[in-house]
Parts: sequence; structure tokens; C-alpha cells
Amino acid sequence: MSKDINVSTSQANDVVFIDIQGDITAVTGEVVKEAYGADNVTNSSMILLRFAKDCYINSGGLAFLIDIASEGRKKGQKISATGLSEHFQKIFHMVGLTRCISLFATEEEAMNNF
Amino acid sequence: MGKLVEMHIPNVLGSEKAAIGKAVSVAQEMGFSDDRVEDLKTALAEACINAIEHGNKFADNSKVGITLASFDNSLEVTVHDEGDGIDPEKIPKERTGPNGFPIRRGYGMFLIKNLVNEMSFECKPGKGNNVKMILHLENKPAGVMKENESRSDNERGTI
Repeated sequence: MSKDINVSTSQANDVVFIDIQGDITAVTGEVVKEAYGADNVTNSSMILLRFAKDCYINSGGLAFLIDIASEGRKKGQKISATGLSEHFQKIFHMVGLTRCISLFATEEEAMNNF
Repeated sequence: MGKLVEMHIPNVLGSEKAAIGKAVSVAQEMGFSDDRVEDLKTALAEACINAIEHGNKFADNSKVGITLASFDNSLEVTVHDEGDGIDPEKIPKERTGPNGFPIRRGYGMFLIKNLVNEMSFECKPGKGNNVKMILHLENKPAGVMKENESRSDNERGTI
């Protein structure tokens, strides 16, 4: 595990959670992608990315999130995210990630929209 | 001009965080809102990453120079690398692929352009590249960065 990022996965019923704490960059983004590549995640139809409030994402990290969103769309997965700061919600909109990852203010809202 | 801060960071990904910390201090002192400070953090990070990766091409012996110049109503941030120069034509312009899906890389300049008020890119073959970013200070709070304040308060350093 990279020292700058902490990623874990869990599952509740049909929804898989990917919890992400720390910096998502060109160096650490691979950790997120590896988590997504785990059998239980990559085969799930519903994935919730739970970002810690202080998550930092740069363009190198966005590339990995775009990879995940792209694969998810090919597989017909529904991917949502919660916990992003307002700034990174804006970044997601700017780069077009919100076309494939739905953003929610709370986990409850995200779960209700699966 | 108010405060001038000049610094250099090692040509290593991650070292930009020190420069960001300093820029945040200057921006907060000037009275920038929290959301504009976040914009500055991302824009400066992307400019430094571009300098390290595309300008200096990860060369161990290269450095990235950062200058923060505060004016009454704006903050001017310049990031300089020592690379051979980048062909501006090679900077990706299209952000989406044929299927309308976001392309994978090349968001650095795109984010900078969208997060600052003014941005210019100067390429000097053999002398490196400069990215200049200007953020306008809107709704400047009273009492923040009064005229003549910190006029001689310049800093230089290597992080």
C-alpha cells in the first residue's frame, strides 16, 4: 500500500464500497485501480466510491478514475461517489466524469439512487 | 506590487506540495476565498507536475522555480522549468473521445485554464518554459493587504 493513499473495499448486499483516503495521483492511482480490479468489485453492478473529505486528486489521479469509469460503463455498472469536497465535485464536472459517476452529498442519497 | 516570494522545488513528483503550502499562505493573507484557494492549489499543482514531467522530464538535476507576486487585486503565480521547451501545439485540446467519453490524460493545462482568471504559456527553447497564472481578488475584504503593506516583504528560498 502506498504511504500516500489508503484504499479498502467492503460489500453490503449488492453494493460494493471502495473507501479512499489520501492522495490520488499518477503514483498512487494504481492502488485505486487495483481495488476496482478485485473480483468482487469488478463483477458488481453497483459500486460506491467513498472519498474521505480531505482526499486530494490531481490530473494523474483523474486518469485512473476515468479508467474505472470507462470500464464501468462498458460493463454496465452503476458507479456513484460520495464525500468529495465541493472543489473536487467541480473538477469532476469539468473533466466530464459526472457523465459516468454520479455524485451525491451523502451515502444515504447514493444508496437510494442505486 | 506587494509581496514577492521566489522558491525552487526539487524535480520530484510530490515536492509541489511545499510550494502549494506557501501559495495558500499568501492567498489567504490576501483575502482569497476558500474556493479560490482550492482553485489555486489545483492550478499550481498541475503547473508544477507539468514542469517536472513534461518540462524537466524527471531529470534529477533540474529544479522547478515558482514565483508568487501579490498585487492589490490579483495574485500572479509563475512556474518555470529548465526543459528544452514544449511545443504548445502538442498540448491536447480535445477533452473527449469520439464516444463523448473523457480522454484519459492531458488535464493539467485544461484544469489550469479553467481554474484561474488568466493564464499564459511561454516556451523558450533552451531556456525552459514559463506558465503564468493570475487569479483576481474579488470582493477584497477591508483591511487585507492594504497599499504599501509588505512592499519590502520579499522572500527567496529553496524547498
